Amino acid sequence: MYAYTDFDRQFVRARAAQFRHQLERHLRGELADDEFRPLRLQNGWYVQRHAPMLRVAVPYGEISARQLRQLARIARAYDRGFGHFTTRQNLQFNWIPLEKAADVMDLLADVDMHGIQTSGNCIRNITSDALAGVAADEAIDPHPYCEILRQWSTLHPEFAFLPRKFKIAVSGAAEDRAATAWHDIGLHLHRNAQGDVGFRVLVGGGMGRTPVIGSVIAEFVPWQQILVYIEAVVRVYNRFGRRDNMYKARIKILVKAEGQRFFDAVAEEFRQILEHDAEGSAHLIPQAEFDRVAANFARPANVREVRATIAPAGDQIDLPLAYSRWLERNVHAHQVRGYRAVTLSLKRAGQAPGDVTAEQMELAASLADRFSQGELRVTHDQNLLLPWVREVDLPGLWRSARDAGFATPNIGLLTDLINCPGGDFCALANARSIPVAAAITERFADLDAVYDIGDIDLHISGCINSCGHHHSGHIGILGVDKDGSEWYQVTLGGSDGSTLSGPATAGKVIGPSFAADEVPDVIEALIDTYRRERQADERFIETYRRIGVDAFKAAADAQRHATALAAA
Amino acid sequence: MQFTRTQHDLWHTRAGEDGPDAHPQPYDHALLTLERWHAVRDTWPTHFAAGVILSNTVDVASLAPDLPRLSLIALQFPKWTDGRAYTQARLLRQRHGYAGEIRAIGDVVVDMVPLLQRCGFSAVKLRADQRIESAQQALGFIGAHYQGDARGRLPVFRQSSQRQAA
Repeated sequence: MYAYTDFDRQFVRARAAQFRHQLERHLRGELADDEFRPLRLQNGWYVQRHAPMLRVAVPYGEISARQLRQLARIARAYDRGFGHFTTRQNLQFNWIPLEKAADVMDLLADVDMHGIQTSGNCIRNITSDALAGVAADEAIDPHPYCEILRQWSTLHPEFAFLPRKFKIAVSGAAEDRAATAWHDIGLHLHRNAQGDVGFRVLVGGGMGRTPVIGSVIAEFVPWQQILVYIEAVVRVYNRFGRRDNMYKARIKILVKAEGQRFFDAVAEEFRQILEHDAEGSAHLIPQAEFDRVAANFARPANVREVRATIAPAGDQIDLPLAYSRWLERNVHAHQVRGYRAVTLSLKRAGQAPGDVTAEQMELAASLADRFSQGELRVTHDQNLLLPWVREVDLPGLWRSARDAGFATPNIGLLTDLINCPGGDFCALANARSIPVAAAITERFADLDAVYDIGDIDLHISGCINSCGHHHSGHIGILGVDKDGSEWYQVTLGGSDGSTLSGPATAGKVIGPSFAADEVPDVIEALIDTYRRERQADERFIETYRRIGVDAFKAAADAQRHATALAAA
Repeated sequence: MQFTRTQHDLWHTRAGEDGPDAHPQPYDHALLTLERWHAVRDTWPTHFAAGVILSNTVDVASLAPDLPRLSLIALQFPKWTDGRAYTQARLLRQRHGYAGEIRAIGDVVVDMVPLLQRCGFSAVKLRADQRIESAQQALGFIGAHYQGDARGRLPVFRQSSQRQAA
């Protein structure tokens, strides 16, 4: 993991002190709500339905056991004892009084954490592959680049007030586990014909009410130039992005409207910076800086390849079906022979997806200390992951994870759904999403059935802001408000860009929205249709692509009790 | 960073401009709109300092030939959360080598000042209800940053003294 230097530590301390000063001015009445809002947002503080919400940055999803314990401490002392992991690999608290905000920022700074740029119209926390640095299919570890990008984008003075938020995701593996095509900028690390490392750059992806897939703007930007290239992109956006309409202010709208002219403007700006600007080449990344940062992400010294597989076979014979399912679903291939990465599922009955109690945070931290070099990852689909688990430790980890409630063997399955906090917490939401997720989880409580259904992405958002990524779900559910009551639009065939899901695309709406109590029936009807129609080993998305939407739509429409009554 | 108070400001637009006076009589420390500057630049005497007010949609490159003759460029913030003028200031300093005063005007509030300074603004005219003391205080919180900036500061990774390896 990246270890803070004295500079980094002083910086976060200074930022916390600055925020305390702003908060005090606000509480004294010197800083009106409208002027305080952008300042608190850029430190992660929203004002939500019940209380302020704090979004804590977990840079590219990497977190240490020590940091997680501090989050548990904050949850206990300042919140109502829990937090929520998001699709952007961050953690949210929901119940911290604003008066305590500066104290919490100090506690975060104690463990090298903060809420900088987790909100606001600025470059947000950079996200990446949760398996970065350990994935078996990885070409280039994105970590050092993510950290260099994080530092460069932190309190960038020119880009603090962009037309709208700006999200960057980085991937360096064959499989895209970071939904890069859905970001304002998506970066794919790869090698060119000469073997040099660089980035394929996508620009203009985004969800919201106008879902757009990012376009490739550059096939290869040498890694040394990536800060300058992104500076050029963001500068063109800052100058020309729309500011008259919040819903048309993302870079995707500019890219769509201008097309090639946008690409040309970026190319020209990039050239100008390097050829004409005073200190224009200052942000070319020096090899020494790359090496310094990369050293932080070197394989831990005591992680060594294990030649023979020494998994205790005799031990495993007595382990139940749940264990083999856990091996199949929650345990992932690793770069280092004899090691595995293991997902701790945060998708289980009785708790909202992505939620963790303070006690669970501490349990996860203990598992990380015992089994994974004290390191965890927050995954894009709202789970935790242990990146450095020895194969030989898998049975022991499974028992401990099971006892702690982390071993639901459902990763990638129907109940491993993505879900935003929705109307229970979020002031923007049109409808609640947690009860819908709970009802679906309850309906599909039978693990055998969930196994039989197999790989599927179910994504639920409580409003069109799409925090639950409904556009990219094989099945997407979107909460809408109709005359003050909650309704749910269902989409089919979306993709986050993974191999299974195919090229990134937004799902198609299958008709008018459904009443809340119809949703579990609709999902069941869609799943039943798939099970009836599937061939051989076909997954849901494959059957959908083969047979098209009609059979699914008919099955869903047959569940319209409330809508049918309302129409009658 | 210089904090400009209206009563002590050398620079002024000429009063009584109710009619569009396309060719104002030259005067010292004249603050002109871009349109007016365009109208008078060919005849403007060198001993009268001139400044222009730029809207935040203007491409500063279009002003490049005039920059040596301008002592002040005032960049507008119609809303303080509209960040276009930060880019204008950086380009004036780093691309066009402008060395005169760059002043932030309009909806300029205390907490913008550190950003303004780093983007190359040398003067600020705060909105009337803002306190200069608070703005000066705001400049003091964060002493060093990661990126290079328009004041000639290099990124921290090019400052050998700033940081030791972890």
